[in-house]
Amino acid sequence: MDTIFEFLFKYRPILFQEGDFTFASTWPSLLVLGAVAAVTIPTLFTYGQARGDSRKGDRTVMAVIRLGLVAVLVFILFQPTLVLTSVVPQRNFVGILIDDSQSMRIPDEGGVSRADFIRTTFGAEGSELLTALSDKFALRFFRFSRDASRLNDMSELSYSGTATNLGNAMVRAQEELAGVPISGLVVVSDGADNSGEVLAESLLPLQAGGVPVYTIGLGEEELARDVQVSRVEMPRTVLVGTSLVVDVIVSHQGYSGRTVQLLVEDTGALLASEDVTFEGDGEPVVTRVRIHAEDAGPRVLRFRVAPQEGERVTENNVRDVLVDVVNDAEKILYFEGEPRWEVKFIRRAVSDDENLQVVVLQRTAESKFLRLDVDDADELAAGFPKTREELFRYRALILGSVEASFFTHDQLDMIADFVSQRGGGLLVLGGRNAFTQGGYQGTRLAEALPVFLDDELSTSAEPYYGELFVAPTRTGLTHPATQLGEDNSDAVEARWASLPPLTTLNPITRLKPGATGLLTGGPEQERDRQIVLAYHRYGRGKVIALPVQDSWIWQMHADISLEDQTHEVFWRQLLRWLTDGVPSQVAAQADRELVEPGQPVNLIVDVGDSAYVEVNDGNVVAMIRTPSGDTMTVPLDWDVEQDGHYEAGFPTTGPGLYEVSVNALRGADTIGAALTYVNVAPSDEEYFNASMRGATLRRVADQTGGIFYTPETVANLPEDISLTGAGVTLTEERDLWDMPILLILVLGLMAAEWGYRRKRGLI
Amino acid sequence: MPAWSRHRGYPFGPIRWKYSITDETLERIVRALFTSLGVVALIAMFAYPSIRTDGSAAPAATDGTSGATARPSEAPLSVVDKGAFATVGTRSFSELTRQGARISLESLARAPQTQMDGIPREFYFARLAYNGFGGFYGRGGSWATDYPKADQIFLSFIDRLLPNLDAYEREFVMQVNNPDVRRFPLLYALEVGRMSLTPPEIVGLRDYLLAGGFLIIDDFWGTREWQQFEYQMRQVLPDHQIVDLDIDHPIFTTFYEIDEIIQVPNVGQGVRGGRTYERDGIIPQVKGIHDENGRLMVIINWNTDLGDAWEWADDPYYPLKYSTYAYEMGVNFIVYAMSH
Repeated sequence: MDTIFEFLFKYRPILFQEGDFTFASTWPSLLVLGAVAAVTIPTLFTYGQARGDSRKGDRTVMAVIRLGLVAVLVFILFQPTLVLTSVVPQRNFVGILIDDSQSMRIPDEGGVSRADFIRTTFGAEGSELLTALSDKFALRFFRFSRDASRLNDMSELSYSGTATNLGNAMVRAQEELAGVPISGLVVVSDGADNSGEVLAESLLPLQAGGVPVYTIGLGEEELARDVQVSRVEMPRTVLVGTSLVVDVIVSHQGYSGRTVQLLVEDTGALLASEDVTFEGDGEPVVTRVRIHAEDAGPRVLRFRVAPQEGERVTENNVRDVLVDVVNDAEKILYFEGEPRWEVKFIRRAVSDDENLQVVVLQRTAESKFLRLDVDDADELAAGFPKTREELFRYRALILGSVEASFFTHDQLDMIADFVSQRGGGLLVLGGRNAFTQGGYQGTRLAEALPVFLDDELSTSAEPYYGELFVAPTRTGLTHPATQLGEDNSDAVEARWASLPPLTTLNPITRLKPGATGLLTGGPEQERDRQIVLAYHRYGRGKVIALPVQDSWIWQMHADISLEDQTHEVFWRQLLRWLTDGVPSQVAAQADRELVEPGQPVNLIVDVGDSAYVEVNDGNVVAMIRTPSGDTMTVPLDWDVEQDGHYEAGFPTTGPGLYEVSVNALRGADTIGAALTYVNVAPSDEEYFNASMRGATLRRVADQTGGIFYTPETVANLPEDISLTGAGVTLTEERDLWDMPILLILVLGLMAAEWGYRRKRGLI
Repeated sequence: MPAWSRHRGYPFGPIRWKYSITDETLERIVRALFTSLGVVALIAMFAYPSIRTDGSAAPAATDGTSGATARPSEAPLSVVDKGAFATVGTRSFSELTRQGARISLESLARAPQTQMDGIPREFYFARLAYNGFGGFYGRGGSWATDYPKADQIFLSFIDRLLPNLDAYEREFVMQVNNPDVRRFPLLYALEVGRMSLTPPEIVGLRDYLLAGGFLIIDDFWGTREWQQFEYQMRQVLPDHQIVDLDIDHPIFTTFYEIDEIIQVPNVGQGVRGGRTYERDGIIPQVKGIHDENGRLMVIINWNTDLGDAWEWADDPYYPLKYSTYAYEMGVNFIVYAMSH
């Protein structure tokens, strides 16, 4: 289109956009009018007089054509001109920013890599583009990946950068060129920015300085055939022996209908595999992989899809994720208001699990409590905790059948705070004194529950009793707490369907907004009548409701074989999930998951006292053990903006796992300690989402007044910069009278009159 | 004169036997009387058409099975006939508890009707009806000793001692080869010296215990009864040992602090005073059987009769010492079973 336009109008459209139109003729207006009249009047007169065989219509048509011809000639005589502002040759600078990251090595269509374009265009002596640019501008080259720096020689480009930070590169180049007239910046990149920074912020100084950015996008906007492990959603810390359900997002291009295998490996040993079937092009598939965390310690798990045939980028088929498998005993308080079989069977289910310590406090008679599995004689000696310090020692709380009036108002508040402030897990079991039947409506605990307590049946005077065949909801099919040790959704569904019914005294049917239902139950043919398992987040923690009274049926029932582990697995996974993510008094983590060798790590530590009130006057020190065995001590400083928040950076050298043990003191008293790991490894991040980001590059160009090019259109770049760029400029006039379109018009009008006459027989 | 001869009164004892009746003789007479009454009752039961609850006479069961085939769920169940227990399958809880009550009703002609309606309860004091030899008071089996009064009185006391426990107030009978027994994780069995389990009962009891059930054994005396019971348990749990429970075992402190094992005599001996043992069961012992993980599955009260102390706790002549101890033990058993 542009070529046709240029053929007809002599110049490219951009010149007409940028330039001002004017007539160069210096003739006085009156003379012009006179001349026009001198030509027009005789024309109209002669055509009006002529008779012959012509009718009036014929004469009008021919007069109009002739007048048009006259008008074109008059237009030409007035010397139409385009006035352009263009930069002064060699007086202005252009910064050329070249992407030096790994993604430039990716071979695109035809096997030509993105770096090849750079080599032939900017590296080779005498390249047309380079010559044209250097004719007009003083050129300054920069290379950029994670950082940007001046480039003196093209041979310095190694294409080994492991990240791309586009915004930073442009700002740096602008700073480097400060003080000299800049016509613009040329960014040669695939635009795959993965710095995580907001690009719009980096554009502000360029917009303010009036520096247009010309972007040259390299690579295909969509890789023709590619499989990518885009994302792995996994907790950073899990309890040893826990079954995890990890969300893995796998995307693809060009492999619709194909089934590939997603493998999970731990230092070479296969942990799990899951089939992934691709659907429509580019549609990411969310796959849920079940993994059992067997061995304690930090593990780097590798999620991998084997390279497919025809795939050019295979580095993005693999993702490594660090998970810390801890071997702690999670202390859970189970408070039960009456002798109940659930106590026996829950204890029995988790007794073999060394990572769960269920401390039971059971009210056997009025003011008489049975304590089981306490650490010492003083623990819970006075019954249910009365202070926050006492309650917050536990990581989770299970409330059985105990009426609300047993607790003081403060204790109910404390239980709610246990979840919302301390971040503990709360599990509320069904029973004759639980939920509505326990008189919890209107208490703070009711507010914390994921379900409403005002069901019609629940609030009626008649006691309710229902038998529940249990079924998982859609979420429940893949939730870690409801897997029952099965490894696919069909098996999970079948397993639930095979279990004998439970009973309930608490008809709970309505979830609160934002709550998630995992299990429902009801008569055999209507298993979704009421809620069996639901949860939501409440403040920092989570609250789970399980309004049934006899999950022990899954252990004792005659249909359940002695070897069957349903009841054990259900309770272990439920309690592990209950304590999952519960914060400790001291919590440490690195500010990002992936660190490259040599990059500094920022360590973030949150510190709270025994009532989980943030501590700002703590003395927090991190001891770091590098993979080579060296240790360093890093003191952390309180971040004044956030209570209880401490930060410090430390350098990394070689790759490997860095062990970070944090110790927090207040005066001479120890508040707590935390252990975390940082995985330092070379990154393949550049190969993920490695297609050319046309949209990003276009936006950069549009917002700064530049233009977006591809290798095919880049030849116009030198002239475009000189016309649209900033810097020292001069005015230039370009004649338009010799535009081919005008000659075509003259000849066309003459031919049209002749043709009309022939047709009408007037010759 | 050696002590034993005075009790036996024969052949060299004082001639006073003509004027006073010894305990043994009295027991023999009572037993004979009740046995004959029992025989008469049994004959009456089988010789006459059964009476339906709606009052109409049921067709005479000429072949002994027509009643069972007509309405299987209401099949008459005899606890005397070995292997005659109907396998009732898996039913809903409320249906089951009603059925459980009917089993006791229909199998025990003289048992009070206990129709359970309404909401099932958390705790049932379930008495184990097992097969055995040698009837007692003609009531079908040794399992029914003191039934149902002991259960009823016990439950009425439990209601006061453990007010938080949601317990069913009436007696309740289950057979261990009935799959529904799994709904009741605590069983009480007594007079186990006459226990003679059928193969289905052996399997049923083994699975019940290994799945998580708890069994209280009570009221059997002396070496011979021990041997019979031990022989039975070896068949039920061949790989598990019967061990003595020390007084510092948690079951003795779960609710009440019990610091001494005492011998609880039967009602006759208790009311009259004097010796407390029966046969050669002189020293009371509490033993137990644990599973692989050290969890107590069976608690065995040997040479003692807690059941009588429960049953006669309301008798002003029965010594408070024994009933207090028996109730303390009973409460501890329940609380322990429901939490361990």
